[in-house]
Amino acid sequence: MSPSIPSHPAPKRAMAPVFWLLFGAGGMLSALFGPALIVLTGFMLPHGWGLPARFADYSHVLAFARHPIGKLVLLAVIALFFWHGAERLFLTLKDMRVGTLLMLRLMTYGVAAILTLVTIALLMAIGF
Amino acid sequence: MSERRPFHRAQPRTWWAQKPYLAYTVRELSGVAVAAYGAILLAGLVCLWRGPEAYATYLRLLGSDVAFVVHVALLAVMLWHVLTWFQILPKTMPKLILRGQQVPQRLMTRIALLAAVACSAGLLIVVVAIGALS
Repeated sequence: MSPSIPSHPAPKRAMAPVFWLLFGAGGMLSALFGPALIVLTGFMLPHGWGLPARFADYSHVLAFARHPIGKLVLLAVIALFFWHGAERLFLTLKDMRVGTLLMLRLMTYGVAAILTLVTIALLMAIGF
Repeated sequence: MSERRPFHRAQPRTWWAQKPYLAYTVRELSGVAVAAYGAILLAGLVCLWRGPEAYATYLRLLGSDVAFVVHVALLAVMLWHVLTWFQILPKTMPKLILRGQQVPQRLMTRIALLAAVACSAGLLIVVVAIGALS
């Protein structure tokens, strides 16, 4: 008699690696370019430091947001920064035992997901 | 019946605000500043979508003293994030062995930090160059 191989149901796939990947991507992107982005949009663009005066013009920035590459940059920076913050905040609040896991997930991953969809919708509404 | 009853040491509720956990808490909450900066950019995108008047208001607010102080604080936290991110990096990677010697974690952190400085400085130089040439 051949030994029967016990059949197990396929293991339930966890969602954690997906959030971990988004967290890592956002963390790396912000670690490499974050300081320059803050200097650029927080100091140089609004005050015109080191840049021509019309660099922050509506038409200029609109053209950037309408270009496919510009859209990709904006989506990557905004959405991944949200997912990075969401993961770190979720794990910290979980360790602090602030609330139920479902509540914490909605507060962090939920907000990041909604804001990602809002960003995509805005980039589409701005047009090409 | 023997039910498993592991020992839990009593821990104050504010353990995360006390040493040695405080450094961990500060590092993790730096992610909130990263997300907050994303929210500032998203607000700009909303104003850009609403039209020239809303965008002009956004730029004026971005140029205000309050926004200046906020961005200085965000930059400080972001720099702390850069430093701690690359301090963690070697711990999350498999051991790197070159010529039979393990590459020390401090060296990996230092090289990654140099790469980060190059990326940020490079981005600013490119933007300034585009501005000067346009």
